[in-house]
Amino acid sequence: MKLAVRLGLLAALGGLGFWLWTICFPNPEKVVLGRIAKLAAVASVDPGDGGLTRATKVGNLLAYFSADAVISYDVPGLGAHTLTGRDELREIAAGGFANVKALTVRFQDATAKVGADQRTAVVSCTARVSAGDAQDFGVQELRIELRKLEGDWRVTRLETVRTLQ
Amino acid sequence: MVQDTNSSVPKPDWLQIVLVGRRPAATLVRILVLVALCVFTFKFVLLPIRVEGISMEPTYHDRRIDCVNRLAYWRHEPRRGDVVSIRFSDPGKFVAPRAMLLKRIIGLPGESVAFHDGRVYIDGRMLDEPYLKNSCDWEHPPIQCGPDQYYVVGDNRSMPFEYHTQGLAERERILGKVLL
Repeated sequence: MKLAVRLGLLAALGGLGFWLWTICFPNPEKVVLGRIAKLAAVASVDPGDGGLTRATKVGNLLAYFSADAVISYDVPGLGAHTLTGRDELREIAAGGFANVKALTVRFQDATAKVGADQRTAVVSCTARVSAGDAQDFGVQELRIELRKLEGDWRVTRLETVRTLQ
Repeated sequence: MVQDTNSSVPKPDWLQIVLVGRRPAATLVRILVLVALCVFTFKFVLLPIRVEGISMEPTYHDRRIDCVNRLAYWRHEPRRGDVVSIRFSDPGKFVAPRAMLLKRIIGLPGESVAFHDGRVYIDGRMLDEPYLKNSCDWEHPPIQCGPDQYYVVGDNRSMPFEYHTQGLAERERILGKVLL
């Protein structure tokens, strides 16, 4: 009985150690996916957000992108557009955040592949974007490229993927 | 004198029988097996889905609940007329994606699909589509399906061609057939 208790305690201690290890040294893929989830939260706007909050959110959103980031999207109803650099992104984000009542962005079914250099990553996910109750931009497959810059994972390229050719 | 052996064992009251049965250990095992079976079935075999949108009207209405059978194409390849679910991004080999497209297969690998005056033509021959209720005026030149591609489209073709999500789906993206 004593042996069983000791083995149980040892197993619990091992589990605790492993858990602490994953907290202190997280898997880079998990870090990237966490970053993407935060990006979705920052890109969302609540109906109760005031002008100042929305302006702050634009600033926070830009922090997730590199200075030379390229955003390329082709969405039915919106057409194909390409944004290059933070300035263009700021302009579009500020206009969008100011004009929508609410915006909900969710990245689902996300998978990340970190490069061998541990400094680049590619995320494949499905984005669901809806603007309040009135307008739903639907579901769109995305490919997001990230690079580790100044200790943070930043988006260098974000593009829509055509699920059906 | 014969002693009744049953009289020494306390009889479980009716509430206990209703809640956990006469043998609680066996009931617990049954519940665990049932839960494991349900989790396996609805996570990997029959995926519960809720239809969103009108692209499959009138066959599948908005907010309808259904299931996708992932084993439907275990023994044969998808067939024309099947309503299938198509994944967007790949969440992993066996993991069920949270968002899928629901479309009907009209073109098989190697075939050409064209729209003329709202009718579908497969390799130049008109396709009979009894499931369509709305007429349309779609016009599109022939699109060739690759050796591993299926042409999929929704049943609601009342909107303009360019606003309707349709096209060639790779075989690996087709997850299964809608059950009902």
